[in-house]
Amino acid sequence: MKKAFLIARSNFRKSKGQVISIAALMLIVGMMLNLWLILQMDYKKNFERHHDRLNAEHVAMCVNIGSMNESEKLSEKLTDVIENDSRTDEYSIDDALLMPGSFQYNGGDLNTTCVFLDKETAVSRSVGKIEIVEDSDETSGIYVPMIYKSEDIAIGKQMKITSGTYEFNYTICGFTNSVMGGSHNCAICEIVLTEDKYKETKEILQKENSIFANGAMFCSVRLKDVEECESYNAMLKDAISEYTYSISNYYTMVYQSRYISQMICAAVISAMAFLILLVALVVMASNIVNYIQENMKKLGTLKAVGYTGRQIINAFHMQFLSVSVIAAILGAVLSYLVFPAINIMMISQTGIPYEVHFLPAPFLITIGILGGAVLLTVWAAVRRVKKIEPIVALRQGVKTHSFKKNHVPLEHTKAPLNIALALKTMFSSVKNNVTICISMLVCALVLVFSAVMIENVIVDINKFITIIVGETCDSCINVNSDAEQEFLQIVNDDERVEKAYLYSNTATTHVNGAELMTTVIDNWEDVNNPDVVFKGRFPKYENEIAIAAKFAEENNIHIGDEIIVSSNGKEGKYIVSGLTQITNNLGLDCIYTREGFMRLGELSDVSYYINLVDGADVDAFNSDMKEKLGNNANMAINVDDTVSAGVTVYVQLMTMIVIGVLVLSGGVIAFVLYLLVRTRLGNKKQDYGIMKSFGFTTRQLIVQTTVSFMPPIILSTIVGLAVGCIVINPFMSLFLSSIGIVKCTFTVPAGLVIMEGVGIILFTFLILCLMSRKIKKLAVHSLLIGE
Amino acid sequence: MEKILLKTENLSKSFSVGGVMQHVLKNIDLALYEGDFTVIMGASGAGKSTLLYAVSGMDTPTLGTITFGDKEISKFSQDELAVFRREHCGFVFQQIYLIDGMSLMDNVLAAGLLVSKDKRVVVERAKKLFASVDIPEEMYGKFPTQISGGEAQRVGIVRALINTPEILFADEPTGALNSQTGLDVLNTLTEFNEQGQSVVMVTHDMRSARRGNRILYLKDGVILGECNLGKYKHNDMERHEKLSAFLSEMGW
Repeated sequence: MKKAFLIARSNFRKSKGQVISIAALMLIVGMMLNLWLILQMDYKKNFERHHDRLNAEHVAMCVNIGSMNESEKLSEKLTDVIENDSRTDEYSIDDALLMPGSFQYNGGDLNTTCVFLDKETAVSRSVGKIEIVEDSDETSGIYVPMIYKSEDIAIGKQMKITSGTYEFNYTICGFTNSVMGGSHNCAICEIVLTEDKYKETKEILQKENSIFANGAMFCSVRLKDVEECESYNAMLKDAISEYTYSISNYYTMVYQSRYISQMICAAVISAMAFLILLVALVVMASNIVNYIQENMKKLGTLKAVGYTGRQIINAFHMQFLSVSVIAAILGAVLSYLVFPAINIMMISQTGIPYEVHFLPAPFLITIGILGGAVLLTVWAAVRRVKKIEPIVALRQGVKTHSFKKNHVPLEHTKAPLNIALALKTMFSSVKNNVTICISMLVCALVLVFSAVMIENVIVDINKFITIIVGETCDSCINVNSDAEQEFLQIVNDDERVEKAYLYSNTATTHVNGAELMTTVIDNWEDVNNPDVVFKGRFPKYENEIAIAAKFAEENNIHIGDEIIVSSNGKEGKYIVSGLTQITNNLGLDCIYTREGFMRLGELSDVSYYINLVDGADVDAFNSDMKEKLGNNANMAINVDDTVSAGVTVYVQLMTMIVIGVLVLSGGVIAFVLYLLVRTRLGNKKQDYGIMKSFGFTTRQLIVQTTVSFMPPIILSTIVGLAVGCIVINPFMSLFLSSIGIVKCTFTVPAGLVIMEGVGIILFTFLILCLMSRKIKKLAVHSLLIGE
Repeated sequence: MEKILLKTENLSKSFSVGGVMQHVLKNIDLALYEGDFTVIMGASGAGKSTLLYAVSGMDTPTLGTITFGDKEISKFSQDELAVFRREHCGFVFQQIYLIDGMSLMDNVLAAGLLVSKDKRVVVERAKKLFASVDIPEEMYGKFPTQISGGEAQRVGIVRALINTPEILFADEPTGALNSQTGLDVLNTLTEFNEQGQSVVMVTHDMRSARRGNRILYLKDGVILGECNLGKYKHNDMERHEKLSAFLSEMGW
């Protein structure tokens, strides 16, 4: 081992630049792998920790009480159903107020279903306790989930919540942490009011004779087996299907929906980490193979004086493994310096506090992955050393190259001299070309990803919204079914309305024991986004249904299959007419025609999506509608504002991701080129000296060196961009499949992709020119004698 | 009166070796004449190669001037020196220094096409030169690793002469060759000199030095003495004795 150490130390001294560059790449990989593993392994566990600590529920349901005499009956029914189900572990049922509400957030209107709880009740619930994470001296007001903490939503500031035609104003007293109801992504948004404000709100609702005036039952159930949460939720929904307005969620749904941003971030980080690792390993292998070729004589000498092949191989392992492991450790340490910034961003997305702390498992796995990958790569690249016979190595050491073909013969080529010489060099550097191609292919894929995200998320969010949100419009108005005709009359008479169509997300449907969120439409031709049903078609007839592609795939359901659907205690057979992709319920949704839905239940209220003519004021329109419809209007949403409030975080996240991956790719490419140029200058030092001696200027040699790298760079960039453009949508579909997207149709901006391609080619040209300038410092005589 | 091709005044070259200045060339005044076969001799470490590389624009002097025609090349930038070398000089090295990745023809054309843009003319001249050093056409496509040392050095001479340089600099051109191939190379250089090519050759081999008409003896960075032998003739005993006497006088 000591002998191997001596060789490794000698190699270190001779290739400091190479060592530093590989170490830099490994540092980045170590940092990103550790970040990814923290996000993957512990960040979601944080949800479980908070869930356990607050004894949070596995299924939460809030049921609106229609009339005073329903209260006792509902309470008894819930208690009965819950206690008689063997899966129940413990539960809590408390009074609450349930109503849809909207408030200003991120510059838009955020619409969600609010469950208002009295502070005393909220913090003392046996199941589903809410934690006050930030408090103040304010004694009367509201406590908001901490996800909404922002410049406008801060302690001491006023917060206006609009529900239907009512407006409630509260002073913000503090912020809460509720695992199952701490975000609009959870379906239930739990809001805590001080005792006086809770009473005041209820009184206002009673005074206005609101349908929410009788309050609600908020039921939180912990199960013996968390795996049962989805079916338990479906069972509970079925049991109270006679009650018109209820909302529920369950553990796995909340667990996934609160961590969408974390999933996207972790996926991007892991993809980048493994791509950079691939590049680093290719560079490492290429360096080793080059080293062996160029130092064959030295290796022969070592063997001749008694070093065994194993000792030489061990030296390589020691050299690269030590560099990689040290860099990986430093990278992992660096990740803890970077993580607080990511954590702040993540908390603003998940709404669940997370304390950064050292995690040994991700750290060890990071070192293990890197160490293992380096060991294998070095072994693969260096194993032929074992077979080298000393005498053969010594002989080959004098002349290391074995040229088989005279590429680009100067006598016959039409290319200018410097270009011809550059091409000669290129053709004789196959390993370099492979390294360049792999690096540039990776880079090109990243460029396409960033271009697609810039175009579809940062510049014009509409495509992203179309895919992620599904159907959008200007205004969404929910009215009681009794008032539907009156509403349609008003809408038809309004000149601001371009189009109004039924698009009601009201009830749930159960297929194979799973709960699917239901959308009811009248005519599929009215919808703005026909891509919601991306395969097959929308349901046209009463016996047709379109179901979520993700769900269909998981349950082996195909278009044309007949499935049994149950809802409201009734069952019906439906033919699957198409497959949908909507992320609202993490890919668990279905679409019926109104007639189709009526076979199983009634629509107590209907939601209409409305397109307004250009320039029409959506808020003014909504206000007019509320005024004209009075209590019959349950909700009027400015969809544009709501969507923009919801997607701002995605835009911010994507902007950071795009900047991050572009900077990182540029850095990696610069490192790779640095290594390649350095190796080239080292290997061809004498050739440069010879050429300088017979009159080539430094500039000509720089041009030759730079140009010799350009064809593989240009070719692999073009191929990478072309392939990237083809695979980006399937790749993104794979990426987003966990939230229900199975077919992405992001616009691939050809112009931007080409610009990025040209940009990266110019960037590499510039980097190569800069790095090749080292030739200038080398005197002819020194080059010749190999100094 | 012979035409001066290149001259130096107070040419000095110093190196720092381990923090200690080594003065390798000390105030050398030298003129190189057109058509001469100038031989620079001296013991190892006398500064022969340093002088050759300094006057040929391969290395920059520490002090003094080097003038080629009416141009002071010691003031040239690196790029100007490169142009000077390609247009006016040819080089033959002890280690030959052909580029392994290029065929023999490409090694020559890479230098030739630097100066002349007329490829046809350069190729023709290369072929003539190859023929004059007995390199057959079938070898043009071979690589340096596929030929013998003597053949490689002859290709090196072809490369050095492809741009019809005013001066051909040769640094120990037979140093890495065996007796017979070394003799062939010397014959080649002599033939070109007889055709009017000016040659400056560094050697410590008396047999090689005998080919020159002008012998400079360098010792400790200064030109200790000079001997004119006249034009080379085969088996010229008088010439041999004169050189022996000169070298003996110089302390060889």
